[in-house]
Amino acid sequence: MSDSLYTQLLDVTCGAFLLAAVIVLWRRELAAIVRVFALQGVALAALAVLLGAHEERWDLIGVGIGIGALRAGALPYLVRRALAALTEDRQGYATGGTETRETQPLVNVAASLLTAALLTLLAYAVSRPLTDLEPTPATRALPVGLAVVLIGFFVLVTRRRALAQVVGFLLLDNGITATAFLATSGVPLIVELGVSFDVLLAVLVLQILTTRMREAFGTTDIDDLRELHD
Amino acid sequence: MPHLAAGATSSALLLAAPAVVPLVAAGMYALIGLRASPPVAVVPPARRAVAALPAGEAPVLVAEAPGPEPVVVRHPGAWATLVSPAVILVCGGLLAAAVRYGGALSAYSGLLRADALTAWMLLVVGAVALISCGFAPAYMAGEQAAGRATDQSLWHYHALVQAFLAAMCLAVVTANLGVLWVAVEATTIVTAFLVGHRRTRTSVEAAWKYVVICSAGIALAFLGTVLIYYAARQAGIAEAWALDWPTLVARADRLDPAVTRLGITLIVLGFGAKAGLVPLHAWLPDAHSQAPAPVSALMSGVLLSVAFAAILRYRVIANAALGVDFTRVLLTGIALLTLALAAGLLLAQRDYKRMLAYSSMEHMSLIALGTAIGSPLALSAVLLHIAGHGLAKSVAFCASGRILQLTGTVRIGRVRGLLTRAPAPAGAPAPAGAFGLAVVALLAFPPFSLFASELGIARAGFAAGTGLGWVTAAALLLVLIAFAALAARTARMLLGPAPAEARPTGSETTTVWPLALGLAACAALGMATGPLTDLLHAAAQAIGGH
Amino acid sequence: MSTVGYAAVAGQIVVVGAGAPLLTGWMRQVRSRLEGRAGAGVLQPWRDIRKLLGKEAITPAGTGPAFRIAPALLVATTVVATALVPLLSTDTPVSGHADLIVVVALIALGTLALALAGLDTGTAFGGMSASREMTVAALVEPTILLAVFALSIPAGTTNLPAIVTGAVEEPARLASPAGLLATAALAVAVLAETGRIPVDNPSTHLELTMIHEAMVLEYAGGDLALVELGAQLRLTLLLGLLSSLFAPWGIATSASWTTLALALVLFAAKVALLGAVLAAAEVFWAKVRLFRVPELLAGSFLLALLAVTSSYFLSGGS
Repeated sequence: MSDSLYTQLLDVTCGAFLLAAVIVLWRRELAAIVRVFALQGVALAALAVLLGAHEERWDLIGVGIGIGALRAGALPYLVRRALAALTEDRQGYATGGTETRETQPLVNVAASLLTAALLTLLAYAVSRPLTDLEPTPATRALPVGLAVVLIGFFVLVTRRRALAQVVGFLLLDNGITATAFLATSGVPLIVELGVSFDVLLAVLVLQILTTRMREAFGTTDIDDLRELHD
Repeated sequence: MPHLAAGATSSALLLAAPAVVPLVAAGMYALIGLRASPPVAVVPPARRAVAALPAGEAPVLVAEAPGPEPVVVRHPGAWATLVSPAVILVCGGLLAAAVRYGGALSAYSGLLRADALTAWMLLVVGAVALISCGFAPAYMAGEQAAGRATDQSLWHYHALVQAFLAAMCLAVVTANLGVLWVAVEATTIVTAFLVGHRRTRTSVEAAWKYVVICSAGIALAFLGTVLIYYAARQAGIAEAWALDWPTLVARADRLDPAVTRLGITLIVLGFGAKAGLVPLHAWLPDAHSQAPAPVSALMSGVLLSVAFAAILRYRVIANAALGVDFTRVLLTGIALLTLALAAGLLLAQRDYKRMLAYSSMEHMSLIALGTAIGSPLALSAVLLHIAGHGLAKSVAFCASGRILQLTGTVRIGRVRGLLTRAPAPAGAPAPAGAFGLAVVALLAFPPFSLFASELGIARAGFAAGTGLGWVTAAALLLVLIAFAALAARTARMLLGPAPAEARPTGSETTTVWPLALGLAACAALGMATGPLTDLLHAAAQAIGGH
Repeated sequence: MSTVGYAAVAGQIVVVGAGAPLLTGWMRQVRSRLEGRAGAGVLQPWRDIRKLLGKEAITPAGTGPAFRIAPALLVATTVVATALVPLLSTDTPVSGHADLIVVVALIALGTLALALAGLDTGTAFGGMSASREMTVAALVEPTILLAVFALSIPAGTTNLPAIVTGAVEEPARLASPAGLLATAALAVAVLAETGRIPVDNPSTHLELTMIHEAMVLEYAGGDLALVELGAQLRLTLLLGLLSSLFAPWGIATSASWTTLALALVLFAAKVALLGAVLAAAEVFWAKVRLFRVPELLAGSFLLALLAVTSSYFLSGGS
C-alpha cells in the first residue's frame, strides 16, 4: 500500500470514527444511537486492520477483526437486547416511547453539540505533546481518539437514560482503544484480551442492572435514582 | 532467594496460588449454584429469584417474601470459604520470608512478580479476607432468616466473593501494568452484583452508580496506561517489556516527560476513583452502605488499598521520569480535597454505614498524603496505615452489619444504648463492643496501629519542609474534625440507656472470633511489628523510600 | 485571455440569472412528478415573474427606504457574488477579488436587507420572521465561513478560485475527512440559507412555521418579482458554489473557449442534478420543528469546526 493512500484511508477512517461519536450526541432515539455506535465499531476495526496491513502484522489484523466482532457485533447486540426488553411490555402504555428516547438530556442537544466542538479543540490542545513525540500519520490522528474519549465522558455525564449512559461508557472505551491503536498499534495481546473481556462483562452487568432498575423503579431514568444522598 | 534449586517451580506456585485458588473456589461455588437451580441451564441473574423455587411450584413472586418456614441450614460450603484467605495468607507469609530483605521473585516470564510490597499487600488482603469470610456465614444466615437471601443467592454470593479475592490478588501479584488494570477493572465487575445483592431500590441505585463511575474512572487509568506504554515504546523498550513495572522503573528516565505527565495524571485520577479519592469518589458511600457487611468490609478494607497500591507503583515511575514534585503536588491536592470533603460530610452524617464509608475516604486521603510526602518514614507509615485501616475498618463494617440486622435501622438517631441493651437480644453486646473498639481504632487511639501510622505520617510531614508542614497541619485539623464527628456519633450509638422497646430478634449467635482476631491483630501491629519490620522497610524501599 | 475571462464572468451572470427561475421550475417539476402530479412545467417561474413585472408595486403606508431598496439590494448583492464565485472558470479578471469572506459577506448583506424590510413593514409577521431569519443566519454564516475555511487550509489561501484550482489539481483533498465533513456542513448550511426543507418550507404560508415567506408578505408587483428572483438566484449560486467546491471537475482553469463551453454544460448538469436530488429529498423529509432548527444548525457548525480541526491537524503537518 502506498504511503499516501494509507494516510488518506487512515484519515477517512478517523474522520468517520469521530463523526459517529458526534452523531451519537446528536440523535435522541436510543435505537439510532446504538446503530451509530455499531458503525463506529466498524470504523475502529477498519482502523486496526489498516494499521496491521500497513505494518504487515497479521496479528494486528486478527485483533482488528476480533475488535470488530466485539464492538460492532456483540456489544450493540447486548444493548439492543436490553432496549427490546425495556420496550416489550410497554407497548400498550404511553410511557413506551419515553423509555427508548433520550427526551431530556441535562444539556440540550444544540448546546451539547457546541460543547463537543470545544471538547474536540481541547483534545487537540492536550494531545500536542503526544504528536510531537513521534509525528507520523497515525499519531497525528491521536486527537481523534482523545476527542471521542471526551465526548464519551460528556455523554456519560449528561444523558439521563441508563442505556444512553452505557453507550457513553462504550464511546469512552472505543476512544481509548483507538488511541492505543494510533499511538502504538495496540497494546500487547494479553492486555487487549483482558480489556475486551472486561468491557464485555461490564456491559453485561450494566444490561442486567438496567433490567433490575426497571423492576425496582419502573423506569430507566437516572434522575429517579436519588434515594441515596447525604 | 533462599532455595534456588526448587526456586523456579515453587515461586511460580507461590505467585499463582493467591489468584488461582480463589478463582477455582469461585468456579466451584458457581457450578454448585447452577446445579442447585432447577432445569434452566444458564440462569440470568435477573430471574434467579423465581428460578430458585422448587420445580413444580407455581412461579409466583416470592423473591422478597420468605418461604413458609425459614429453615436456616448451616450452609455446607460456608466454611470452605476460609480456604482461600488461608491460602493467600500462607502464600503471603512465604513470599514475605523470601523477599523481606529486598529483591523479588518472578514467574511466567515476568507476568507475576512478588516484591516486599506484594507480600505486604497479600498479607493484608488475606487477613481482611479471613475476617470477612469468617464473619460471612453468620451474617448470611441472619439475612436468610430475615428472608433477604435465598439458598441460591448464597451460592452466588460466595462465588462472587471468591472471584473478587482472585481479582484483587491478581492485581497485587502481577508485574504487568496492563494486567494490573484488567484485574482492578475485574474487581468492579464482580462486586457490582455484590453491591446490588439485596435488589432493593437503594441497592440497585448504588450498584448502578458504582459500576458507571468506577468503570469510567478506571477507563481513564487505562488511557493513562496506554500513554505510558506509548512513551515506553518511544523510549526504545521492546513490546513485551513496555508495560513491565521493573523495566519501566529501571528506564523511567528515558520516558518523554510531557507524555508521562499526562499519563500519570490520568492514572492517578483513574485509580484514585477506585481508591475513593476526589474527584470520582461519589460511588463510595453509596456502594459501601448498600453492600452486604462482609463485602463492605472487603471493599473498604482492601479494595481501596489495592487500587492505591497501583498508584504507589506508578509513583515510582513518575518520580524517576518527572522528579518528585509532580506526583507530590498532585497527590497532596487530591488528598486535601478528599479529606475536607470527608470531614465535612462526616459532620452531617446520619447513617452509620455511610459514616464508616466517609471514614474510609478520610483514611485513604491520609494514605495519599503520606505517599505525597514520600520519605522512608512516611512510606512505612503509609503501608502500616493500609494494614491497620484494613483490619479495623473490616471489623467495623462487619459489626455494623450485625447491628443493622439486630436493630433493623441504619439511622444513627434510632440506635441507642447498644452496649447496655445486654440481655435482651443475645447477640447485641458483642458486635456493639467490637464496633466500639474498631471505631476507637479508626480514631487512631493507642494501642491500635493507626496511632503509630498517623503519628508517622505527621512526623514525616513536619520534617519534610515548610510547604508540606503547612499541608500536614491543615490535614491534622481536618482529621480532628472527622475525629469529633465520628466519636460523638459512635458514643451516641453505644452508650446511654437502652430504649425500653428493644426489638426482639432472632437468637442466632454472632461469630465473634473474626472480629476479635482483627482487633487483636490491629493492636498487635500497633505495639510491635515484630517479624514484619523487615518486610515493611523492604516494601517502603521498593516503592521509593530510599 | 481577457476576452475569454470577461466572457466567463458574463456567462456566469447570464447563466445564473436566466437559469435560476428554470432551476426552481425544474425542482418543482421533479417534486410534482414524484408526488404524482403533472406539474406546471419548467418555465412556470419565468411566467410568474413576467406576470408580476406587469403589475404595480405597492408600498404599504409607513414604510421607509429599507422596504423599498431591499429587493434591488438582494438581487444586486447576489449578482455581484455570482460574478465573483468561480462557477465556470477560475481564470477571470475578477478572480483576484473573489475572496471567501467577501462572498459570504455579500450573501449576508442580502439576508440582512430582507430582514430589515420585514421589520420595516411593522406587521407582526414581518417582525417575527425577521427575528427567526436572523437567528438562523447567525448560525449559518459562521458555518459557511468555517466549512470553506477548512478547504482553504490545504490551499493556503481564502481565495475561492485558488481553492477550486487546488482541488482540481489534487482531488485527494476532497476525500479527506476535512473535505467530507465540510461538504456535509456546507450542505446543511445551504439548505438553511436558501430556506428549504427541513429548515423552512418555501411553499407554505402557514404563520407558525414560515421564516422566509413571512418577510416578503407585503411585497407586490415588480418588487415581489425581484424578491423571488433574488431567492432563486441565491439558491442557484449556493448550489453552484457547493458543486464548484466539492465536485470541481470540468471548471475551466485556463482561458480557452472550448473548456469554457464544456464548463457551461457541466455546470448546468451538476446544478440540475443537485436540484433534482434536493427536490427528491424534500418529498421524503418533513420540516423540522422551529425549536429543533438551532440543533440542526449547531450540528452543522460542529461538523464545519471538525473539518477545520481535522484539516489543520491531520494533514496540516505533512
